[in-house]
Formats: sequence, C-alpha cells, structure tokens
Amino acid sequence: MSTNFDRRQFLLGSTALVAAGAVAPAFAQDAGRLRLYWWGGQARADRTNKVSDLFKSKVDPKVTIDGEYNGSFQDYWTKLDTQVAGGNTPDVLQMDYRYIYQYATKGTILALDDYIGKGLDLSDFDKDQIEGGRVGGKLYAISLGANSVAMMVNTAAFKEAGVDLPTPDWSYDDYKTASVAWNKANPRNGMRILQDGSGNEPAYENWLRQRGKALYTADGKLGWTADDLVEWFKLWDDLRAANVCVSPDNQALDANAAIETTMITLGKAATTFANSNQLIAFQKINKDPLTMVNFPRAKKGAGGGHYRKPSQFWSISSTTKAKDESVKYVSFFINDGDAGAALGVERGIPCAKHIRDAIAPTLSDQDRLALNFVSNLGDLLGPLPPVPPAAAGEIDNELQTKSQEVAFGQSSAEDAGPAFFKAATDMLARSS
Amino acid sequence: MTTPTAVVSAEPSRPWRKRIMPVVAHVLLIAASILMLYPLLWMLAASFRPEQEIFSSTSLIPSAVTLNGYISGWHGLPLSFGTFFINSFTISILCIVGNLAACSLTAFAFARLEFRGKRFWFALMLGTLMLPYQVTLIPQYVLFLKLGWVNTFLPLVVPKFLASDAFFTFLMVQFFRGIPKELDEAAQMDGCSPWRIYYKILLPLSVPVLTTAAIFTFIFTWDDFFGPLIYLNDIKTYTVALALRNFVDSTGISNWSGLFAMSVLSLVPVFVFFLFFQRLLIEGIATTGMKR
Amino acid sequence: MTARALDAGSAANARATVPSPWRQAWTANGPGYMFLLPWFIGFFGLTVGPILISLYLSFTNFDLLTAPQWAGLDNYARMFTADPKFVASMRVTFLFVIFSVPLKLAFALVVVLVLNRGMKGLPIYRAVFYLPSLLGASVAIAVLWRRLFAGDGLVNEALAMIGIQGPAWISNPRFSLWTLIILAVWQFGSPMIIFLAGLRQIPQDLYEAADIDGASRWRKFWKITLPLLTPVVFFNAIIQTIEGFKSFTPAFIISGGTGNPINSTLFYTLYLYQEAFGFLRMGYASALAWVLLAIIAVFTAFSFLTSRYWVHYED
Repeated sequence: MSTNFDRRQFLLGSTALVAAGAVAPAFAQDAGRLRLYWWGGQARADRTNKVSDLFKSKVDPKVTIDGEYNGSFQDYWTKLDTQVAGGNTPDVLQMDYRYIYQYATKGTILALDDYIGKGLDLSDFDKDQIEGGRVGGKLYAISLGANSVAMMVNTAAFKEAGVDLPTPDWSYDDYKTASVAWNKANPRNGMRILQDGSGNEPAYENWLRQRGKALYTADGKLGWTADDLVEWFKLWDDLRAANVCVSPDNQALDANAAIETTMITLGKAATTFANSNQLIAFQKINKDPLTMVNFPRAKKGAGGGHYRKPSQFWSISSTTKAKDESVKYVSFFINDGDAGAALGVERGIPCAKHIRDAIAPTLSDQDRLALNFVSNLGDLLGPLPPVPPAAAGEIDNELQTKSQEVAFGQSSAEDAGPAFFKAATDMLARSS
Repeated sequence: MTTPTAVVSAEPSRPWRKRIMPVVAHVLLIAASILMLYPLLWMLAASFRPEQEIFSSTSLIPSAVTLNGYISGWHGLPLSFGTFFINSFTISILCIVGNLAACSLTAFAFARLEFRGKRFWFALMLGTLMLPYQVTLIPQYVLFLKLGWVNTFLPLVVPKFLASDAFFTFLMVQFFRGIPKELDEAAQMDGCSPWRIYYKILLPLSVPVLTTAAIFTFIFTWDDFFGPLIYLNDIKTYTVALALRNFVDSTGISNWSGLFAMSVLSLVPVFVFFLFFQRLLIEGIATTGMKR
Repeated sequence: MTARALDAGSAANARATVPSPWRQAWTANGPGYMFLLPWFIGFFGLTVGPILISLYLSFTNFDLLTAPQWAGLDNYARMFTADPKFVASMRVTFLFVIFSVPLKLAFALVVVLVLNRGMKGLPIYRAVFYLPSLLGASVAIAVLWRRLFAGDGLVNEALAMIGIQGPAWISNPRFSLWTLIILAVWQFGSPMIIFLAGLRQIPQDLYEAADIDGASRWRKFWKITLPLLTPVVFFNAIIQTIEGFKSFTPAFIISGGTGNPINSTLFYTLYLYQEAFGFLRMGYASALAWVLLAIIAVFTAFSFLTSRYWVHYED
C-alpha cells in the first residue's frame, strides 16, 4: 500500500481549510437572534423548545432562537464558564440557587429591577419566589418553578415489610421505631428503611432549620456551630448502629445524589432524600410504585424545616446585545398560558398563580402529587433562607467526604464536627 | 551402539503434548475473552431491557426483550442519530488524514534529519503532552473564538493537520527509528532528496505504524466528547459522543435504555474500522525490502 | 603574466565553490525545518499561546467570571503547605500509575506474544481483547462498573462461588481505587495494538536466518524480538505513564465528580477540574497543572536519559 499523498496537495488542502475557517461567519449575537442555554435532558428540552416556538409564533416571528442544552449539570457549568471567560455568554441562561450569588456579584448576569412592569410582568408571581432571585436587594434571576425537598418512598417495599407508609409527622425516632418491625420482616434481602443522610446537605439544612438554626446567615457566615454538627453525626451514628439506615458501603455507592445511584434506585433503601419535582424521573427507572413524603421531623412536632425553593431560574447575561428581547422571552416563559401548559411542572411548580390554576386539572397523578405536596406543606414550611454564599458548593462537597469519614469509622463524630466547622469557615473566608 | 528402546520411548509423548497445548491455550483464551467481553454483553442486554429493569436486575438475560431503547434512542434527540454518526465520521476521517500527514512529516524530521535545536524542539513537542487540557481550555477557546471557529468543526480538526497530537508524532518517531538507516544512506548516495526518502522509502515501510495511528485517531476522536462539548453549540453539528451525554440527566428525567442502545450502535463503526485496519496491520510488510 | 592570471582564476574559482555560511546552514538545517513547518505553525499559532497563558494564570486568582488578579506565589505556597486534598490526590494518582501502568503493559505484551504464534482464530481473539479499549470511559461503563463491583455485585457473587467473601470494592475507600486500576488494565488493548505493530515491523528474514542457525524459540525471542521491540516498549511505558498521571474521565464518571469515597478516587486532574470549574479557582488549578507537568517532565527526562542503556534503535 502506498500513501497517495502529494505534499503540494496537502499544503493546498490545509490552506483552504484555514481560509475557509477565517471566512466562516462568526456567530455574533445580532438583535434578531437569541441564544438560550440550559441544563436538563431531552424531556426538558422538548418542552423548552416548544415554548420557544410559541414565542416565535405569538410574540416575535422575526427572531431566531438558538436553544442549547446539556444533559449533564456539570457539563453545563463547565461550558457556561468557558463561554463567560471568552466573552461569549449566552443571552438567556439557566441559573441555580447555589451559584446565583457569584454570578450576580461578579457582574455576569443582569439586574432586572428596571424591567419589572416594563417588559417583565411579575404581577401574578409568588412573592417569595421573586425574593429567591434577589442578591443584595437587586433582582438577578426569575424562578422557573418552586420545589421542596421530599423523600421518595417505595410503597411496594413497605407493603412487603408490613410497615405503614411514613406520614407527614414522622420524626427520625418514628423511623427508628418502624425499623424494628422492618428489619424483622427483612424485605428484599437486607433493604433498610432509610438511606444514610449524614452527608446530605438538604437533609442537614432541614434538620437545622427545625431547631431554629440555618445553614448560612444573611451575611454569608455559617448559621450553625460545631456542636450542631456533632449532634447530627451522632444521630446518624445511632441510626447506623441500629440498622435503621443503610451501611456505609452501600451509601458510598451514591455518586453525588445522581438519581440512578440513589439508594432507592439501587434497592438498598426504601426511602431516599430528593426533591419534589423529581418524582417522575425516579419513577421512570424504578419498577416499584413510588410516592413522596416530607423529610423527617427533628423531633415530634418540630416544623419549619422545608421551604419552597426556586428550583432553577432564568438569568440574562449582562453583556447581551438583546436585552429587551431577552426580557420579553423570560416574561413570556413565565406568564403565557400555552407556554405554561407546555412546561408543566417539569422544572417545578409554576410561580405565577394563573398558570398554576390553569394547568392543575391537566396534570398526571404523580405531577398532581408534587403540586399538592409543595402547596400544602403546612407547619413544615419555613421562610426562604438567604441566597447561599460562594463557597456553598465546596462546603457541600466537603460535607459528603466528612460524613463518609465518620461512617467508615475513620473519624469520630466529636472530632469530625469541629474539624468540618473549621474547614467550612476557612472555605468561606477564602472565597470572599 | 544404538539404543532403539531409548529413542522409541521419547517419541510418543511429543505428539500428545503438541495436541493438548493448543486446546489448553484456547480454553484459557476463551475464558479470558469472556472476562473481556462480559461488560459489553451486559451493555448489549441492557439496551434490550425495559428501562425500569436496568438498575434492578442482576441477570444477563432480559426478562422482556424490547426495541424501545433503539427506537427512542435513535429519535431521542431533535435530530436522528444518523446526523450525529455522519458528523462523527466526518470529523474522525478528517482527523486521520491530518494526523497521518502532519505527524509523519514531523516524525521524519525528528527521526531521520539532523538540524540545530532538534533535541530542544523534540522536548517541547513532547512537553505539549504533559499539560492537562483543563487549564489550556479557556485560552484555546478564546483563541478559536477570535478566529470565528467556534460552532464549527475547525477547532477539532485543524490542529491535527498541524501535528498537534504529539502522541502520534512520538509513536512514529519510535517506529521510524526502528527502520535501518542504511536504506536512507543508500538512497542519499543515489541523490535522493529528503522528501523522496520520506515519500518513497520510509512511508511504504511504515504501514504498521500508520495503520495503528489511523485506528487510534479514529477511536480517540470518536469517543471524545469534551472538545465537541466546548466548541459545538448547534445540535446539527453534534457528534455521537456528545449526543450520548444528553441522554442522561442525573437530576431529572433520563433515557437510559436509549443511552445503552445508542452506545451499542456507536461501537459498531469503531469495531468495523478496527477489524478492517487490523488486516492491514497484520499483512503490513513481511520484509524490509532490503538486500543484506 | 599567464601564471598570475591562472592564479587569479583559480582563486576566483575557489571562492565560487565554497558556499556561504548562510547557505551551509540552510543546506544542513533546511530540510529539517521544512518538514517541521506544519508543527511549527501549529505550535506557535495554536499551542504555545494557551500554554504560556496557563502559566501566567498559575500566578493569579482567576474565577473565570472576572479578569485574573495577580497573586504571586500564593497558589504554589498554599499547595505545598495548606492543602490536604493536594496531598491526597497526589497519593491516589501515584498509586494508580504505579499499579496500572506495569500491569497494563505486562498484559499487553504477554497477550500479543501469545497471540503471535499463528494459532487458529487469532484475529477474533485480538479483536475481542481490543474491544474494551473501544469503549473509552463512558457513562454506560460507569453504571456497569458499579454493578460489577458493588458489595453485592457480580464480582463478589463469582468470588462467593469459590468461597471468598469480597468487600464492597467500589464503595469502600480502601478498595475503590483498585476498581479504577482494574478498569484501566481491562483496557490494555491499546498498548497491545502498538506492540503488535512493533512486532510486525521486525523483519521476517531475521527469524529465518536464526532458524537456519538452529536457534531455539526462547533464543529468538531474547536476541531478536525483545531488542527490536524496545523502542515500542519505551514508547508505551512513557505514554501510558503520562496518560496515567493525567487520567480523568473514569474517576470523574464513577465518583460523580466527587473523588469519593473519602477522596480515595480523587485523581489529580479530577481535583484540578474541581478547583477550575467547580469552585471557580482557575488560577489555583493552573498552578496544580504546572506542578503536574514538572513531575511528568522530570520522569520523562529521566526515562530518556536512561533509555540508551536498554533501548535499541536501528540508527
């Protein structure tokens, strides 16, 4: 075999390629073009693209909407940050409660206060959901749906164990009591009633709030002390020792709370800490019928742990050349009836009351369950916490690691509490 | 004096051993093959399973065989997978052409020519392999953004034509150095220019390494999702590896059976490519073509 | 007069036939640089800029959202004095390289030698052994690996059949790294193909000549195959080590980006990625990258220097 490569041909070819590249149109953002970027799978993409089509037909037929998305949450932020660093931020981007503080304070996203009532219609919007998008008093992000933390429950397993389903007033003690009968029945060959939630930040936050504390204070400091954490770790030590929750070996299979690696999906536990808008996603890959219940109470009668969290937001880039169009799009997204019907409750419970009322009759059973759950939290509901500080992601990471140290016996609860408190304080100091 | 008995007693054991050895070897190889293949068989089974069974069942045989994974996977994204396969092919083929041409030229210089600064440039070339891509990503992105190449294949393909893959340059250098230099010297005495030596002597003798480079380039570019993730925005330009990543949303609704089905399909071109080029690799060259 | 004219003529002739230093340099170095032209264009046009920028960034604090701020040696100081995750990730990565690279190379070499014997069904076996490498490190593989190596996974079921009670390989911090080592070694097909190509390049007439001389199979291997294979062994050793130090995707996918349980799968580049894109500290991540480069460079230089004692080239 001889390689038929003429050097001249090769040089010509490569020059042509380079020339073609230089002449290729640069994808600048014109006024007639909107770049949309979000994370989520195909299910969410289909709904979002439908809304974009509705926007084009109802509001602005001349606009071109480039809808980009990534299935992986981590991929999304990597690509977004790369684009921001390159000065190529998308016009409308999806934002998360954990990161809004950084993007707002570093000036990546636009403050929208001037547009309220002038292009951005928030007249029918839940007040607390508006507040959730404020940093330093200014509005930077519009909530696309409220959700709340919720436990996924495997009803079939409970039936097999002959144990009653958890009710809204169950506390950790109640789970412990139920586990006695549970473990005696030993359903599914070693399935436990609870996952090990010691490293689960939402679970810890929920428990703290019920005791009158908080994860973070309004000025970005830790809202808990080392003693709180020691007590939390001790609670789980106790549950672990009594076989109420899964073993550390099993819990460590959970890779960062990805749905497919949660204890309920892997069949190791009958309940799992999750979010209310994830029921459908969990049901899709779980054979057994699932339902939802609230996070356990810290002790009998304690409440105020839950809150209606903005599950995700739309933010607008501060460097966009299409400010008005972007605002129009966001306002349409949250207010238009057909758009609301297309979106359903996939991103969370819609925040505009008229949308909620319109879609309620059309929801599937599980979606209705989620809607009712978030609307009827009762005494479980507490006020929305302040926007988390910049180091929140890193601290969450560290909590997972520290909790594993305790679970595997590499560290005691008494040592881990102060150690983690110090590490978290350092992380906060470093990132400010 | 002959000892017929001694000679006769040695012989019968040899044919017996000769027959048993291949069988033992085959048994071991088959066992090893099962170990190698098991994960793939599992993936194949998962692609035919109902989605709710994928994470709960432990057996290799699905309880119910369904083509739902393949159907929902092929049409799972707004564009059918046909588009993504074409994109992946285009990029991979272009990268192969670029790598083979550019890296062999570069490797020839390092392996066969003498010039000032050779060791220095070689060290630099090798050095480009040592820095993790995560930290050059942003500056490179800015560079390509300024060139207007974002949202095209160009950032993924053009560097190959400029010998950016030091892996292959180094590989070819090692292989070129294994070819006797007497061939070059003989050609030089006949008045051959370096280009002729490269083109007429070294390349034909390098079929094994060129084939290997082609196979590896294909696989690396076929499986690469990070480059496409950063540089491709429009779903029309997506590659198979990138499209696959949109099947799984770990915080929401995923399409796992679609993912497994399309992953299995994605293996087919790579495997076929490998089989085809494996023949070339084996039948490569039998002699050096040189009369000693 | 004729003699002087003759002399003048010969002197002029002499000047005309000795080339200038520029011409000499061009003739000597020209071809080399011409062949390197594509690489030079790529290196100076596309590669060197980003590399130098990343070096600059290592001395800054860069959060990707705003401009980099000069920080001097802060990043490096922190790395070596106050960062337990740096130490942990170094340890994990070194262990990974020390175990996976030799094992991978050994399997590749042994299998390719065994498969070069001319038995029936060779191409099929070769394809089968190469298949795992085609998979790369995908999400599908991660799901499978968890299923195989979980406490009640298939590996432990198989071990139970011969009476061994296996631990929870993938979720126990003491053993989780081994599942990643096994994943890497399982994909030994890549170096195997390179060894195969190297074997194929050894001229057959050398073996024929040895046969005529009555050499045994072992002697042929030791005196012909192995020496002529050393350039390829060298390549595979260097490349596998470099790639091993930079290994990212398997750990990223299997641990969900966390490096857990308890940082036991926190590969160095995974930690780097966390710092860069997870915690928006690209400056620190760049410093981490350059430290890695220094380590790899030292190792590679050392390997090259010692290679002349055992690598046999034909030139």
